[in-house]
Amino acid sequence: MRILLAEDDFASRKFMDKQLSRYGECDVMVDGEEAVDAFLMALEDDEPYDLVCLDVMMPVMDGYQVLKAIRDIEAQRGIPRSKGVKVIMTTALNDERNVKMAFELGCEAYAGKPIDVEKFEKVLSKLGLI
Amino acid sequence: MAEEFNTESMLDMFLYESGQLLEKLEGIILEKQDADCFDDSDINEIFRVMHTIKGSSGVLMYENITKVTHKLEDVFYYLRESHPDDVPHMELVEKVLAVSDFVTGELDKLKNGDTPDGDEHQLVQDLDEFLGRLKGEIKKQGIQMPQANKHEEPKQFYITPVAGDDSHFYRISIHYRSDTQMSNIRAYSATYALKEVAEDLLYTPDDILSNEASGDVILAEGFHMLLQTKSSKEEVIALIDSSEAEEINFDELTKGEYGKALAEFGREDAITIDLGEEQKPEEKDKKKDKPQPGDYVVKTKEAGKGKTLAKNQPKQQSIISVNVEKMDALMDLIGELVIAEAVVLQNPDLKVPGLELSNFQKASGQLSKITTELQEVIMSMRMMPLTNVFQKMKRIVFDVSRKLDKDIELEVIGENTEVDKNIIEHITDPLMHLVRNSVDHGIEENAEDRTTLGKPAKGKITLEAKNEGGKVYISVKDDGKGLNKEKLYQKAMDKGLIDNKLISEFTDKEIFRFITLPGFSTKEEVTEYSGRGVGMDVVVKNIQSIGGRLDIESVEFEGSEMTLIIPLTLAIINGIVVQVGNSPFVIETASIKEFVRVGEDSLIHEPSGEEYIVLRGECYPFIRLNERYDLADSISNVEEGIVVVLEHEGSQVCVLIDKLLQEQEIVVKPIPPYVKKVKGLSGCTQLGDGSIALILDIAGLLIQDGERR
Repeated sequence: MRILLAEDDFASRKFMDKQLSRYGECDVMVDGEEAVDAFLMALEDDEPYDLVCLDVMMPVMDGYQVLKAIRDIEAQRGIPRSKGVKVIMTTALNDERNVKMAFELGCEAYAGKPIDVEKFEKVLSKLGLI
Repeated sequence: MAEEFNTESMLDMFLYESGQLLEKLEGIILEKQDADCFDDSDINEIFRVMHTIKGSSGVLMYENITKVTHKLEDVFYYLRESHPDDVPHMELVEKVLAVSDFVTGELDKLKNGDTPDGDEHQLVQDLDEFLGRLKGEIKKQGIQMPQANKHEEPKQFYITPVAGDDSHFYRISIHYRSDTQMSNIRAYSATYALKEVAEDLLYTPDDILSNEASGDVILAEGFHMLLQTKSSKEEVIALIDSSEAEEINFDELTKGEYGKALAEFGREDAITIDLGEEQKPEEKDKKKDKPQPGDYVVKTKEAGKGKTLAKNQPKQQSIISVNVEKMDALMDLIGELVIAEAVVLQNPDLKVPGLELSNFQKASGQLSKITTELQEVIMSMRMMPLTNVFQKMKRIVFDVSRKLDKDIELEVIGENTEVDKNIIEHITDPLMHLVRNSVDHGIEENAEDRTTLGKPAKGKITLEAKNEGGKVYISVKDDGKGLNKEKLYQKAMDKGLIDNKLISEFTDKEIFRFITLPGFSTKEEVTEYSGRGVGMDVVVKNIQSIGGRLDIESVEFEGSEMTLIIPLTLAIINGIVVQVGNSPFVIETASIKEFVRVGEDSLIHEPSGEEYIVLRGECYPFIRLNERYDLADSISNVEEGIVVVLEHEGSQVCVLIDKLLQEQEIVVKPIPPYVKKVKGLSGCTQLGDGSIALILDIAGLLIQDGERR
């Protein structure tokens, strides 16, 4: 499985990288724009990611912008929603408004930090990734 | 969905919403428990409630809740689609309540930060079995079977953060010694050390690394940090290098205070947003409504500026939640204000003869009006309707009567009566006990026992609340068998709970009050719900602790009525200030029956030294306050003084005082612990002239009087 992780905070990045690397190859980005670039590049190379994990508060583009960009790109390329990449937001912003917005923008899951690893894994299996 | 709550965390929101839905559900169920079946709108509503809870618990991945609500939703789906006849209504009601209880239990676990791990298998099995029968019934009745209820697995998930709510909030201030070198670097290393454990960290001055001048600011004003972390105080202190520090201040804050402190710290979010809004006024409203993608871009650090998160917008809220402690503090302050007002308005300096005070009087009138209004507003802020408490009672009557197989109807009157929040907390348990007692002991075991007495077969319990004369009356009335005086007397005698007196020497009320004695229980058999003989005394104790009392009325074979009489508020009472010798006393206005002047000839002197007063043919115990409390320079001749007739719980007592001073709103203060507890005094207060007056406790006087005799 190919995973894209966007996270600007060093400690969280290290932690997530370690967690995610158990499931597959994990590319790590430090800001939102880089994440979109990486996503595009993977599509061009015909090696799309299976899972994208997005922090919300990031430099240049925040996680919601990245999520929206990803869904827009997919729509533009005619990729049906069911075949699209699975996106999990990982953030400490867990108030209801933000969660609802993320769902509206089309993420598959929203993980509040600090992340519950057990449940995270459960979600991955529900999403059919592992 | 209530707009004002939507900044709560996802989990809080789930708990709040589900809690509300379940309450509503229970309301519907209990209202329709006696009907033959649910009507269409109820079925729809229950279906919707289950559907919503199922959906949101699915998103939050609480699987046991999802499974249970899913099953019940199925049941109601078939009811809704097929309208089968002969649905076992009572069984259905029980199933719904079982599910409601299960989910409530799980929600409570979540609220306490535990994992919802209740075992749902039994419940799901029961529901399955019920659903199977229901389907069979539908087939038998030849109604077309609806298509199976399609369930969509949630496609989106919310992973709740691990125990996100146990964060601590600290305000840390470090003052370095004035000769400390490079204090800014020291300060930075402190923040660096804290970053490891911090969930949020904010400090001022915030440009410590890039601006060398900040070192001087730190030396002059100290270095301040706001920290949100899971670590304990000790762990955090251990992380901070204190070698050059002169003083480290460490305050733990509540979440609310932390938010306020953030604002004081001038976290620059607000400013950033303001600028943005000025440039794009047309987007202003939109922005407030919803966060937009792009709101959370972390701005790159400009030189000399702190890290700024463009976080939340100012919220628009019409309801705020306030910490109860703050409310209590405000209440205390208002109390102090009332005293201070009296001190000003009745200041001895004003008593100088010949002062022109008309303007002062006008101004003081205005002041009094405002303080009174202020007092009313704060009182009303603390008022809550009894609706929730009564709802619980409905449930208890339902449960207990089902269990004991008694047919009982509950009538509720005045559930919108508002009382102080503190009082609600104190009366819930006592009231529950009274209701249980009524169902268990009050109503007859057999319906025949009732019909032979000419009563309807169905028992009736009336729960009534009303507000009268500054007091709240909450009564639990049943039309059951009532109290048997002889039985009560015999029992109390057998248990040695009362003095050796004949039954005729007790008044009816005194006999009824035996049931509140510790260790008294007339029921031969102890049931699951009551009859253990602990309870009524606890009820009375609880009620007395908030200044209330329990009134018992009963007629054998016709029923009993237990009334809780509770003061509307706890802190401020209306009192009459009286004087004995040189000491002022305060008597609560509500307990004064009358003031009389009596002649020496209406006094009865007993050889034992006790005195009685005969008033209009009635005999009352008589207490001379001056003798009781050894007060000098007071009137001892009854004809010169004033006799006050006081009443408490139906018993009267007369006291002798010198003169009446004034009527005043009294802020009750406890007698400080360093003063020995004196019987007959319940507290003290400060009077207008600054002197301290003692508040007479009528119940205490009566008890003491009784003991003496």
